[in-house]
Amino acid sequence: MNNTVTLAMGSGGVQTSELIDNIFKKNFSNPLLTSDDAAVIDFEGGRIAMTTDGFIVSPYEFAGGNIGKLSICGAVNDLACMGAEPLYLTCSFVIEEGFPLEKLEIIAGSMAETAKKAGVVIVAGDTKVAGKGQVDGVFITTTGVGRIADGISTSGAFARPGDKIIVTGDIGRHGCTILLSRESFGIDADVTSDCAPLWKNVKACLDAAKDIHVIRDATRGGVGTVLYEIASQSNVGIMLDSSKIPVADGVKGTCSLLGLEPLYLACEGRLVISAPADEADKIVEVLRAMPDSENAAVIGEVTDSDPGKVIMLTAIGAKTLLARPGGELLPRIC
Amino acid sequence: MNEVIEQAREIITGYKGREIRIMEVCGTHTHEIFRLGIRQLLPESIKLISGPGCPVCVTPVGYIDEAVMLSLERGCTICTFGDLIRVPGSEKSLAQARSEGADINMIYSPDDAVEMAKNFPDKQVVFLAVGFETTTPSACLAVKKAKKLGLENFSILTANKTMPNAYERLKHSADAFLYPGHVNAITGNAVCRKLCDEGVSGVVSGFTAAELMSALAVTIRMLEKGEPFFVNCYPRVVTEEGNIAAQKLMKEVMEECDTEWRGLGLIERSGQRLRKEYSDFDARIKYSLPEIKGHSNAACRCGEVLQGKCRPDECKLFGKVCTPLHPVGACMVSDEGACSAYYQYDR
Repeated sequence: MNNTVTLAMGSGGVQTSELIDNIFKKNFSNPLLTSDDAAVIDFEGGRIAMTTDGFIVSPYEFAGGNIGKLSICGAVNDLACMGAEPLYLTCSFVIEEGFPLEKLEIIAGSMAETAKKAGVVIVAGDTKVAGKGQVDGVFITTTGVGRIADGISTSGAFARPGDKIIVTGDIGRHGCTILLSRESFGIDADVTSDCAPLWKNVKACLDAAKDIHVIRDATRGGVGTVLYEIASQSNVGIMLDSSKIPVADGVKGTCSLLGLEPLYLACEGRLVISAPADEADKIVEVLRAMPDSENAAVIGEVTDSDPGKVIMLTAIGAKTLLARPGGELLPRIC
Repeated sequence: MNEVIEQAREIITGYKGREIRIMEVCGTHTHEIFRLGIRQLLPESIKLISGPGCPVCVTPVGYIDEAVMLSLERGCTICTFGDLIRVPGSEKSLAQARSEGADINMIYSPDDAVEMAKNFPDKQVVFLAVGFETTTPSACLAVKKAKKLGLENFSILTANKTMPNAYERLKHSADAFLYPGHVNAITGNAVCRKLCDEGVSGVVSGFTAAELMSALAVTIRMLEKGEPFFVNCYPRVVTEEGNIAAQKLMKEVMEECDTEWRGLGLIERSGQRLRKEYSDFDARIKYSLPEIKGHSNAACRCGEVLQGKCRPDECKLFGKVCTPLHPVGACMVSDEGACSAYYQYDR
């Protein structure tokens, strides 16, 4: 490991895991702290899920959303992944001196709107202003609490051979949008962020099919990173069919120009679900009927061979390992 | 699977002739061949060799040392394509320099560096110009633009390379070259045709699954015939004369020089440097850089890998001390490097 923190350690890939294992896990380790999107805590009369997430995206406004919307979606979706109905959020702002109030109003407005859409209430907050240059614009941290209904239990460790792997929509749009919104790439593609709160979509899936093993939020590091995490946590293999993975044309074109793999671009409104084969079609059908998941698709299956690995069936009918990226893909995407 | 792929697949998997060696020259080809799993389809008798067409892989250690010196000792703002940031220098990489406070910026186009120089007149911006005929024209454009704008705080550190003399050096390493489609799109096919006249065979290929598969199938069929050949299998992009405007631009701004290729050593007239008229934008002259002789890890066999003399996994360092996250040799750094591809796809 390096002697100092590098940008790559924040990119969501292998180096982020190294940082978390070597510093945070070592110091904070306890039975409730897991690799899942939120902690599940037994509480009087039931279980709650709790999560926290910081947002430093640059630029703070982008096609399809802004840092405020993102901060609500992040917490809501982390809770939804544990099958928890999001109830309460807190938010903490660090704002740079000189930040326009008008922009802050817009950001707070989208937070309120997104919270309402997700059915969650913002119940506490904190505001700090830092000197010019000490932060870039505005950074937001949200913390969320949700209630898990009886009988629901999801975790990255629960994938079973024979499960189908589902994504809830076309992948990589958020990462691609941020990339394009940075100045002077000179690429003109019609791509908007997939940023969306997904509790209602998850609820519909849970109602339609009680037996869902894994729900994961494919944020930083994208669908590819989440699949590797599931393969490792559940000690299973995952076989993807490259022809089944939904990718919007604009994302596809941008990726081929810049040499990026859509599976590793961040999403902020896409989930990866692992569920038994006989439930999969039902889940996809339910998702396709709802906003923000119209392009849901089965993209692969869980296998008992190649544990810990993600294998791709390619366009020429060969099977290859899905390469794991190292280093910084796109700093500050969320 | 589409029809073209299916037909090509039959030709490739059904090959029963003598052992043949095909060198893919382009790093993007290497990456795509691994990503698609093409190597798995090949019969034992067809060997693919990953040649020196990844600009990061052939950039010598001393060049990284120059960039580190510019950033840490001369206080320059470095603008570079992302891959270069992690390439180890003699003592440190640019990533390490950055965590020590150096101003290192990842950009996607040389024009971004010119814009940065324009917008931040207090910064001394240096663009790290690596790459082949495909990327050199954009570096030339950047220099011309900086000159037109009268920018005194912009310069480039050249390590630009050209392919013709590298082909000469490598022509006995394989039975046929898979020529890089993007390079030929700029240069045209004259060099390849000349090599063909000298008995060196090759096919220029595109980058999709269908293009790569059919280029390989054509190579196999032509090799079976036994005569030297050149076939343009990427006609939708590559024309005979190439991109004349880009060729002119390069001639106007740059001139040939001898240059070192990591692993291959010095190749005469295979480099590009700024012409005298543009020497104000040459970072080596501007900051009076001393001649730096880089030191790489003696156990690293990237050089042999680049010539197809050794497979990546035959190197002692491979996968143990040298991994994509902690690369020792340059071939492990870029996604287009042979070692990185082996590591990521073939284990």
